Amino acid sequence: METATQHITTKSDPAEQTPVIFIEHVCKRFGDNVVLNDFGMTVEKGENVVVLGRSGVGKSVLIKCIVGLLKADSGNIVVLDKDITSLDHDEMDKMRARVGFLFQSNALYDSMTVRKNLEFPLRRHWIESSRDEIDAMVLEALENVGLAHTIDMMPEELSGGMKKRVALARTLILKPEIILYDEPTTGLDPVTGKEISMLIVELQAKYRTSSIIISHDMHCVKLTASKIVLLMDGKNYCSGTYEALSRSTDPAVKQFFE
Amino acid sequence: MTGDLSRFTGRFFAYGIKPRYELAEFLRQCYMIGNRSLPLVGLTGFIMGLVLTMQLRPSLVDYGVESQLPAMVGIAIVREIGPVITALIFAGKIGSSIGAELGSMKVTEQIDAMEVSGTNPFKYLVVTRVMAATLMLPVLVVLSDGISLLGAFLGVNIRSVTSFTLFFRQVIDNLAFGDVFPAFIKTFLFGFAVGIIGCHKGYYSSKGTEGVGRAANSAVVLSSIVIFIIDLIVVQVTDLIGIN
Amino acid sequence: MEAQTKNNIKLGFLVLAGLLLLILTLYGVGKNQHLFGSNFRLKARFTNISGLMKGNNIRFSGIQVGTVKQIEILNDTTIEVTMLIDEKVKPFMHRNAIASIGTEGLMGNKIINIIPSSSPAPAVEEDVMLATQKNVNTDEMLQTLSRTNKNIADVSEDLKNAAHRITNSAALWSLLNDSGLSLNVRTSLAHINQAAANTQTFTRDIREIIAQTKEGRGSIGQLLRDTGFYRDLDRATTTIDQAGQGARDLVSHLDDLVLQLKEDVANGKGTANALLRDSLIVMKLNASLDNIQKGTDGFNQNMEALKHNFLFRGYFRRLEKQKKKQTVNTVTR
Repeated sequence: METATQHITTKSDPAEQTPVIFIEHVCKRFGDNVVLNDFGMTVEKGENVVVLGRSGVGKSVLIKCIVGLLKADSGNIVVLDKDITSLDHDEMDKMRARVGFLFQSNALYDSMTVRKNLEFPLRRHWIESSRDEIDAMVLEALENVGLAHTIDMMPEELSGGMKKRVALARTLILKPEIILYDEPTTGLDPVTGKEISMLIVELQAKYRTSSIIISHDMHCVKLTASKIVLLMDGKNYCSGTYEALSRSTDPAVKQFFE
Repeated sequence: MTGDLSRFTGRFFAYGIKPRYELAEFLRQCYMIGNRSLPLVGLTGFIMGLVLTMQLRPSLVDYGVESQLPAMVGIAIVREIGPVITALIFAGKIGSSIGAELGSMKVTEQIDAMEVSGTNPFKYLVVTRVMAATLMLPVLVVLSDGISLLGAFLGVNIRSVTSFTLFFRQVIDNLAFGDVFPAFIKTFLFGFAVGIIGCHKGYYSSKGTEGVGRAANSAVVLSSIVIFIIDLIVVQVTDLIGIN
Repeated sequence: MEAQTKNNIKLGFLVLAGLLLLILTLYGVGKNQHLFGSNFRLKARFTNISGLMKGNNIRFSGIQVGTVKQIEILNDTTIEVTMLIDEKVKPFMHRNAIASIGTEGLMGNKIINIIPSSSPAPAVEEDVMLATQKNVNTDEMLQTLSRTNKNIADVSEDLKNAAHRITNSAALWSLLNDSGLSLNVRTSLAHINQAAANTQTFTRDIREIIAQTKEGRGSIGQLLRDTGFYRDLDRATTTIDQAGQGARDLVSHLDDLVLQLKEDVANGKGTANALLRDSLIVMKLNASLDNIQKGTDGFNQNMEALKHNFLFRGYFRRLEKQKKKQTVNTVTR
């Protein structure tokens, strides 16, 4: 609850009134399978929005649409004041540098060391830096997740929790304004899952980012959410704070909190 | 499927010529594809040369033209057996590894991760690998031809004696540009086919470990077939334009 | 970075090795086809190049010295071949060298053989036109053989007729009481008979050879290249022709003689006249018989030569065995 208060204070910053992510009327279908159907939500600056839903309802599809990995069939997605449906490739790349994405499967490059993995986005986004600066950034990012000693290891040598942290470090290295977490605690034991959730909150506070967290792990949701959006049948079924939703009498909502 | 593959090929050329070349990754792939395949290709080439020589000898002895053995083996290796066998081995090793690597990168979202990291994964992964395969296979074929001829030299020396100089003199003397050029040109096509098919199968592999396996497997099968089809077409074309 | 640099160096070595090998091969092949190094050009005109192609080898007294650079049809009977020859052999090649088209090995590629002539001549220069030797081709050879065979058959027929007529002419025999002349005629007749027998065998042999060649059993390539055999055959044909001419002369003389004698007998003219005529006729007859003898000698020699020709040796040997079995006497001298 601390975190929620924290975010509410951040949100009350008068200069930042426009939402960082604004989604409306988004539809996405794969063949006959309608995944998103007139979906809409907003994320305010500094907000931690959890998108809650059962497996396979299209939560991942939603955030992939936000970074342009998937194209929405219709609707508007405005990220940091830019309509991503109308961006060309270069503009999209620039936008992507400001949006971090933590993949469900971590997506660490198997063929590269941890250091290379972390350097990759830096070099890719043409961040002009000297060798020393890059090393410092990599080290800082790893220290943030408490894994500075793994810098020259290969991803395969790391445990599941460590991989997740390294992936998080890689996501954070560009100091993104928005971070999209795709099921950050899935596949981890409850203790490690909690550690990761705490880390997310911690880093959020440190870098004052806004984020969307996809999850169905209620521990994680409870720890991280400043707002919850319930995605059901491709629609924004309902939204509210953890407390508000956990008190809901709607059976569809209730099932998540039992 | 042919349509998908040709679209993929079209995309390769479209992205391939646009600047921002992934040179470091290209060189890394060249090393992985070229140097790492050399032992295998060299070994099979050596054995091929040796066995071919030993198998051809009795027939030539029957006709009393045993002295033509180096010429015959040389032409067979340079024109056909070297390029095709090397390409098939290459398809088995490189086609499957590209298919599996890209397939698993796809499954573990590494391709998506590249995309959001401001990298065109097609350029970074596909263009570099296809280019590396296209350029390294000819190098491998040339080296494998050389090693095959060493095997053939050994094969000749098992039953009779010839000097190293005489053997290679005979091989070279009986080769014409018409033997060397089409054989060399087609190795680029073979390499390209292995690269593009491996990448295509991996890049569009279905989710899950089974999809990765299938990608690797079908990459090898399809590229092996395509190698033979290209071989057939090249023979026809060079025959038509009079290089033979 | 370290490992990557190391790998790049290894990659460099690999590519370099490949390139080096490729360049060496291409250089070797190119050198072989005389694309590099200094060359000069020679030309030669042929009526038939027997499937010679660009890039075929040129041999000078059996040494590989160059390749065919260009083949150009000048008109329906002239094909100009431009040859690229190694500069190094220039001082040794003379203007009167003869170019001919041959075959490399048993069934190999076509080549141009440049054969030096023994007589002195200045060394060749750039673009010199060399004399050529007509190459014998199978079709021509078979045609010649066919013609020869027909000639021989004619001669054989003539000889048979002559012998027949001489033997059957009672008047002649009665007239020829001159023992020397009589012996001469008899020997000649024996020769003629032999010649006729030989010719018949020869005719049959040649017919068989032609048949075999056409069926493809005989080696066309070898027949083609064996110009020695070709020359022998030509000479044999000429000699047979001569023999035939001699026989025909003899027959006409004999005819004259017989006619004259008959006339003499009919007119009751004196023997002096007959004797006078006789001596003249005897002279003519003798000359004719000499001719015939020479002809048959030559013919038999040629037959002999033919038998020793390596190509036909096996064939004749087989024939001889058959003949022995049939106890037919083939004449050998």
